[in-house]
Amino acid sequence: MNPGIDLQETFIQSLVELGLPADLAKAIWMPLPMLLMIIGATVGVLVTVWLERKISAAAQQRIGPEFIGPLGVLAPVADGLKLVFKEDVVPAKADALLFTLGPVIVVIPVFLSYLIVPFGQNLVITDLGMGVFIWITLSSIAPIGLLMAGYASNNKYSLLGGLRAAAQSISYEIPLALSVLAIAMMSNSLSTIDIVQQQSGYGILGWNIWRQPVGFIIFWIAILAECERLPFDLPEAEEELVAGYQTEYAGMKFGLFYLGSYVNLVLSSLLFAVLYLGGWDFPVPINLLAGWVGISETNTILQVVTAALGITMTLLKAYFLVFLAVLMRWTVPRVRIDQLLDLGWKFLLPISLVNLLLTAALKISFPLAFGG
Amino acid sequence: MLKFLKQVGDYTKETVQAARYIGQGLSVTFDHMRRRPVTVQYPYEKLIPSERFRGRIHFEFDKCISCEVCVRVCPINLPVVDWEFNKETKKKKLKHYSIDFGVCIFCGNCVEYCPTNCLSMTEEYELATYDRHELNYDNVALGRLPYKVTDDPMVTPLRELAYLPKGVTDPHDLPADAQRVGLRPEQILEQMEKNGDS
Repeated sequence: MNPGIDLQETFIQSLVELGLPADLAKAIWMPLPMLLMIIGATVGVLVTVWLERKISAAAQQRIGPEFIGPLGVLAPVADGLKLVFKEDVVPAKADALLFTLGPVIVVIPVFLSYLIVPFGQNLVITDLGMGVFIWITLSSIAPIGLLMAGYASNNKYSLLGGLRAAAQSISYEIPLALSVLAIAMMSNSLSTIDIVQQQSGYGILGWNIWRQPVGFIIFWIAILAECERLPFDLPEAEEELVAGYQTEYAGMKFGLFYLGSYVNLVLSSLLFAVLYLGGWDFPVPINLLAGWVGISETNTILQVVTAALGITMTLLKAYFLVFLAVLMRWTVPRVRIDQLLDLGWKFLLPISLVNLLLTAALKISFPLAFGG
Repeated sequence: MLKFLKQVGDYTKETVQAARYIGQGLSVTFDHMRRRPVTVQYPYEKLIPSERFRGRIHFEFDKCISCEVCVRVCPINLPVVDWEFNKETKKKKLKHYSIDFGVCIFCGNCVEYCPTNCLSMTEEYELATYDRHELNYDNVALGRLPYKVTDDPMVTPLRELAYLPKGVTDPHDLPADAQRVGLRPEQILEQMEKNGDS
């Protein structure tokens, strides 16, 4: 297997050739991918917000944003700018420290999780050995922030929203983790790179969705619940709870919640694509195509094309899932809190357990197909 | 054991059914995405109000005989009729007339009952003001005619759904001479005259 382009090696090597010590060169390199990823995540959110508004409009036979930039692409930017310039109000009887800390704690872990999102063989900030695990760990920090925000607002709706968010996150973390565990068991690794690597080679036929159809659905439901998307948006159900834990928030603090929820959606879709849809893998194996045409694997142009195609494929798959989530939003009604917990504990949990056991059994009996 | 298996089977059936319903719903939403938006882009496009539209009321000062029927039929006695009895001509002389459109519910009773037809409905509906007292129209303001949507060069007039040709639901890019569904009032009259029934 050809490793493809390794920007880090090339960058460090060129700096070393300029006469810099290797450690310094590495230190100069390190912030670059992080900065790029943060910018990428933010732009991804802007695109998602625009898509959400346009797709929602289309599903309701409206036009959606049209005059702010071509086709209204600048509408989310205008939204963001408005939130930045709004007055930052802290309610008089709120706990100011917790009130400020809440949105921060919600947003930071989500951005941190982008550490492990791969866009290609070497296009990832760090290839952590415990990749997916760190994402699950970080995502369970968010409910603490939500609870904080709900409690500190000194408002009954906020408190109820915060409690609901916490209950929801905790219940859906377990089926989520169990379905990821089944994938990890098949890949013999938690690293996102290894997980994609194990799916590649056979094109679309090798993707985990065929080997884990049940896990795929459980993961999707759990993701929707984790991101508080409809049908599971009851922490901020406006008909019952005004806006849940966001009720008292205004200006940039509200903006952080808003940003956090969309970053989380994009992140979850990206990881969903990585875990089940083969990440950066093209539906037809590229090496095979190159072999037919007669281009060698080490060809520079081929490597650049492969990298670009990898990024495009990952984003395409992720945005397909975002699209599905938006469509879902206008299709299904919101569930009640008891139905939500019922679905989480009495349906998803046993099924994901059975799925895990089945995967283990299949792994032992067919080690070739299920990653022995 | 058998009962348990039956329960599991029923549960699975229900789950599959629920999944199918969600799939059906998704396909409906997806289908809506390819339909053309029904949006009327308001300040640039406006619907042409129908002929029975009940908008701001128009008042003709000279026709009014100060009978105050409009006040009597109004649900809240809204029109203010200020007249004076002229002893020489032995007639009522109208001095002022006003209707407060901040309170009016546009029921059209006054228009219906006015014996001299000095009241009529216009198609004006853009009545927003910064001060509600500005909505209290006196006889001068009541005598103004609204600007027609079809005459406004800044506005693309769009026909309402009932005024579109048969089978058409989109008012955009319609040929100007396209006739609406059904006969027009003058055509119905013509037909009635031809048939000899009146």
